[in-house]
Amino acid sequence: MRLETRRLLDRAFSGLGVIAIGVMALALIVILTPIIVKGSGAFVFRSTVEHRKVMFDQWDRGNPQRIEADKAAAAEARQPVYDMLSAFDAELKAMPRKERSLYKKPLRELEKALAELLGPVPGEHTPVLIRQQYGATRWDRAKIKLDELLYTEDWDYSNPDALGVLVKTPRVEQFRGTALEPLFAYIKENISAMMRPRWTFYWQFLFDTSKDSHIFGGIGPEVLGTIYLTLGAMIFAIPMGVIAAIYLCEYSREGRVVSFLRICISTLAGVPSIVFGLFGLAFFLNTIHISNSKSVLAGSLTLSLLILPTVIRASEEAILAVPHSYKEAALSLGSGRWHTVMTVILPAALPGILTGTVISMGRAAGETAPIIFTAAVSVGRPLMPLEALSQPTPALPWNIYNLSTEHEAVDEIRHVQFGMVFTLVALVLLLNLFAIVMRARISKKLRG
Amino acid sequence: MNEVIQMKRASRFAGPEEEDYSTRAAHVKTEEFSVFYGGFEAVKKVTCSFPESLVTAIIGPSGCGKSTLLRAINRMNDLIPSCRPGGKMIFSGEDIYCKNIDVVSLRMRVGMVFQKPNVFPKSIYDNIAYGPRLQGIRNRSQLDEIVESSLKQAAIWDEVKDRMTSNALGMSGGQQQRLCLARALAVKPEILLMDEPTSALDPKATTKIEDLIGQLRGQYTIIIVTHNMQQAARVSDLTAFMYEGNLVEFGPTRKLFTRPREKQTEDYITGRFG
Amino acid sequence: MSANTSRLKRFGALLGQSLLFLVTSLSTLTVFFIFYFIARDAVPFFKLEGFREFFTSSSWYPTGHPAEFGARAIFFGTGIVTLGAVVVAVPLGVSAAVCLSDVLPFNVRQVVKPVIEILAAIPSVAYGFFALVVFAPLLQNKGGAVLAIGAWLILAPVLALLVVVVSDLTADRFSDLMRHKVRWILILLLGGAALAGMIALGRHLNSIEIISGANALNVAVILGIMALPTVVSVSEDALQATGRELREGSYALGATRAETILKTVIPASISGILAAVILGIMRAIGETMVVWMASGNAARIPEPWYNMLEPVRTLTATIAGDMGEADHVTGSARFHVLFAMALCLLAFSFIMNLVSEGIVRHSRKKLGK
Repeated sequence: MRLETRRLLDRAFSGLGVIAIGVMALALIVILTPIIVKGSGAFVFRSTVEHRKVMFDQWDRGNPQRIEADKAAAAEARQPVYDMLSAFDAELKAMPRKERSLYKKPLRELEKALAELLGPVPGEHTPVLIRQQYGATRWDRAKIKLDELLYTEDWDYSNPDALGVLVKTPRVEQFRGTALEPLFAYIKENISAMMRPRWTFYWQFLFDTSKDSHIFGGIGPEVLGTIYLTLGAMIFAIPMGVIAAIYLCEYSREGRVVSFLRICISTLAGVPSIVFGLFGLAFFLNTIHISNSKSVLAGSLTLSLLILPTVIRASEEAILAVPHSYKEAALSLGSGRWHTVMTVILPAALPGILTGTVISMGRAAGETAPIIFTAAVSVGRPLMPLEALSQPTPALPWNIYNLSTEHEAVDEIRHVQFGMVFTLVALVLLLNLFAIVMRARISKKLRG
Repeated sequence: MNEVIQMKRASRFAGPEEEDYSTRAAHVKTEEFSVFYGGFEAVKKVTCSFPESLVTAIIGPSGCGKSTLLRAINRMNDLIPSCRPGGKMIFSGEDIYCKNIDVVSLRMRVGMVFQKPNVFPKSIYDNIAYGPRLQGIRNRSQLDEIVESSLKQAAIWDEVKDRMTSNALGMSGGQQQRLCLARALAVKPEILLMDEPTSALDPKATTKIEDLIGQLRGQYTIIIVTHNMQQAARVSDLTAFMYEGNLVEFGPTRKLFTRPREKQTEDYITGRFG
Repeated sequence: MSANTSRLKRFGALLGQSLLFLVTSLSTLTVFFIFYFIARDAVPFFKLEGFREFFTSSSWYPTGHPAEFGARAIFFGTGIVTLGAVVVAVPLGVSAAVCLSDVLPFNVRQVVKPVIEILAAIPSVAYGFFALVVFAPLLQNKGGAVLAIGAWLILAPVLALLVVVVSDLTADRFSDLMRHKVRWILILLLGGAALAGMIALGRHLNSIEIISGANALNVAVILGIMALPTVVSVSEDALQATGRELREGSYALGATRAETILKTVIPASISGILAAVILGIMRAIGETMVVWMASGNAARIPEPWYNMLEPVRTLTATIAGDMGEADHVTGSARFHVLFAMALCLLAFSFIMNLVSEGIVRHSRKKLGK
C-alpha cells in the first residue's frame, strides 16, 4: 500500500471517530432541544384572560380589580359574537322546519368550537367539569382552537390506493347568507382583543396541584412524590451501600467469598428495572405486606435495591482512592481498624461517596419501571411525610408516561407533559452537574 | 560469562585508542536542540552529532533528559500532548521537525527498543511481520524470509523457531526484549534507538542484549540510553553525558570514563551523585 | 490494660466485623431474593400452562377464552429491537471510544465526556417521551425523508472512503506513469457509480410511507442512543487499559494512528470491548419505558421478519402493560405469565453478566495481568 493511501486511511479513520462523536452530540441536542424549548413553555407562555380567570377562581391569585377589568374588556370584545349567535337563533326560528334541521349539526359543532375557545356562553348555567368552565388558557392553544373554529376538517378517502387526505374547508361556507356569516371574519380580526394574550411566568407550575386531571394547574404532587421516593431510596441505599463498600475494601480479604459477593453485585446491577418492580410487588407488597396498597415506602425500598450496586461501586472507588499513607499513619499511631475507618478513611472518602450517591439519586428520581407496581398512581394529592409510609403517590416519571399515553385529552395537555419532562430532566441533570463539579474539585485536590 | 565480556571489551578497544570519530559522517545531528514539556525545558539547546555505524551511549542521572532526547530522534515525543521541540534535529541531512517530513516514513528508518519489552499480544511471527506488513509486504515467502533473518540477527531464532505461532507474551522477559529488537530490525532501519533496553531484565538476559549490540555494531548506527555506566563502558564507542537537560560532555567512551574533561562528569562517573 | 478489657475489645471488634459482613451479604444476596420471588410466582404459570405454548406459539391472547399465552412474537420483538439497538450503538460507540481515547486532544475530551454523562443521565421515560411525542410523528409524517437522510449520513462517508481506497489500491498495480491517471479515472468512475446508487436508494427510501411512527425502528434508534454511553465508557476504559507501551511499540515501527489502533490496540482490548457490547445489550433488553411507549405494542412477528417499520412488542413492555390489568387477579395464569417473562429476562441478564465477567477474566489471564 502506498504511503499516501495509508495516510489517507489514517485521516479517514480519525474522521470516522470524530463523526461518531458528532452524531452523539447531535443526538443529545436533538433530544434535549424540544424538551427544553417546549418544556419551558409550561412555565413561560402567553396566557389568555381565561388563564387569569382560572388562577383567580381556583387559586385566589391576582388583583381582583384588574381581573375584573380584564374580564370586562374581553367580554366587550366577545359580545358581538354572542349577539350574532342570538340573531342567528331568531333567524332559525323564522325558517321552515326542513331548512332549520340542515343547520342543526353545523350549529352544534360551531357552538362546541366556540366554547372550547372562549368558554361557556355567559349567563348560561356553569358546567360541572372545570375544563368546560373556561376557554383556552394559553395563546398557542387559542390559535389552534381558532383554526378549528374557522375550518372544518374532513378525511378524503376517494382514492382507494392512497392513504386518506385531510381536507380543510372554511366553516363559513356552512353559514353563507345567514347572520353568522360575518362571525368568522370578526373572530379572526378580534381574537387578541377577545383573549387578551400576555406573557406570563407561571413558576407556581412546580408547586400547584392539578385541577381536572392536569388540564389546569401544575405538577406539585408529582414533584413532591418524586422527592419522597428519591430521598426514601437514598435513606435505605446509602447506609447499606457504604457499609458494604467499607467491608469489601477494608475488612475482607480477597477470596472466594468476596469474589462471590462481587459477582452478586454485578448481577444485581444487570437486573432489568422492570424485574425490580415485579420483585417489589411480589416481596414488599404481596409477601411481607409492608403496606396495604402501593406506597411510597415500598417504592423507595424497591428503588434503593436498584441503585444499591451503583452506590456500592462509587463508595468502593472513593474509599480505594484514599491514599494508603493516611491509613498507615493512623494505624501506626495505634488506632484500631474501626476507629481508622471512622476517623480517617470515611472523612477522606466522603466527597467521592457523595458524588457517586448524587448520580445514583438522579437515577432513582428518573426510574419509572420499578415504581409502576409499587408506588405510583396517576392522580393524587400531595402527601404528608408520615402518609408516605402507607400511601401511594403520583411521581414525575410515571405521570409523564400516564399523561402522554393514557390521558383522555393527550393533545390538549402537551405543555404539561413537556413541562414534566423538562422538570425531571432538569432535576436529574442538576444533580449530575453537581456531581461533575464536585468530582472536578476532588481531582484537583488530590492532584494537590 | 564475565570473562567473555572482558575479552570482548578488550578486543573492541584494541584498535587505536584515540580514533578520531569526528571524521566519521554524522548520521544524526542536533543543533541547539531543545524539548519543552509545557513550560519546562527538558532538553536544553543540545548540539552534538551521532556518527554512522557506531554505538553511542547517553548517560546521566534520571530526569536529565536523556530519554527525551532519544525519543526526539524518531519523534516519539509527538505522542505526548504538551511536548514541543525547538532547534534542529538533522537526520541524513534533513531536519526531521520540518513541516514536510513524514513521521511514518521517518519511523520506518529509525527503529526503537523500549525500556519495558512491549511485545504485541500476538503470535511471535505476527510480531515480527507487523512492520513489513505495514509496508505492504503480503507475500508469504518474503515475509518468512524477513522473519527468519530478523530473528537470527537478534539471536533468538533457535529458541523460537518451533513455536512461531504461540503468543509472544508467553516468553521470558529477556526473550521478549530480543523479540522487540528483532521486530525493530525487520523494518530494516538505519538507526536503532535503545531506551534503557536492559533495565527490566536480569543480568543474564542483559548480557545477551549487550552481546547483540556488539554484533550489530557496524551495521547500524546505535544510540543507547542507559543509567548503567558499566554498560555504557562495555558497549559504546562514544558516550554523551547529560545533566539537567544540558549536554555536559561528549566524546570517545574510553576517554570520557578515564579522563573526563568536566568536573560534573567526573563526579557522576565516580559515583558522587546520580 | 487488663486482660479482661482487651478480650472485651477483641470481642467487640469481632462482633462489629460480623455485623458488617451481615449487612454486606444482605445487600448482595438481594439478588437471590429477587431470583426466588420471581421464580416463585413464575412456576405456577409453567405448572398451569406448560412450556411449549409459551416458547413456540405466537398467539398472545391472555384475555381470550380460552386464554392463549404464546410469547414467541414477544421474544422476537425483544430480540429485534435489541439487535437494532446494537447495530446503532456498537459501531457508533466503539468509534467514539477510539476517538476519545486516541484521537482527541485532552481538552476536547474534557468537553465530550460530559456529553456522554448527560446522555447516560437522562431518564428513560424522557427518552420514551421523546420517541413517542417527537420522533414517532416525525417518522409517520416524513418517514421516507428521515430514512433517506439517515441512509445518506451513514453510507455517503463510507462509500466515499471505499471508492478512494479501492481506486488507490488498484492504481498501485499500474506502472508509475499510468498510476496517477488510472487513479483519477477510477475515482470518477466508481464515485459516479456510488453516487448513482445512493441517489437511487435515496429515492426509493423517500417513497416509503410509514403507517405508524411507533415501530421497531423508532425504538431501536432510541435504545441505541441510550446504550451508547455504556458502550462508549466501558470500551474507552478497555482501550485506555491497553497502555502507552504497546502503542509506542507500534508507532516506532512506522505505523500510522489508524494502523496502531486497528492492528494493536483494538485486538489487545477486544475482550473489554466485547464486555461493553454485552453491557449495551443488557441495557437495551432491560429497558422498559421507551419500548412501552413507542414500540406500538403489537404482539406479532412482522412480515417479513426484518421489517423494522412494523410495530412490535417486547417482554418488558408486556410486563409493564399487562400487570396493571392482571394484578387484581393474583393467582391466575395471566398474572403468573408475567413473572415467567421476568424470569426469562432475569436468567438472560444473569447469563450475559457471567459471560462478560468470564471474557474479562480470561483476557486478563491471557495478558498476564
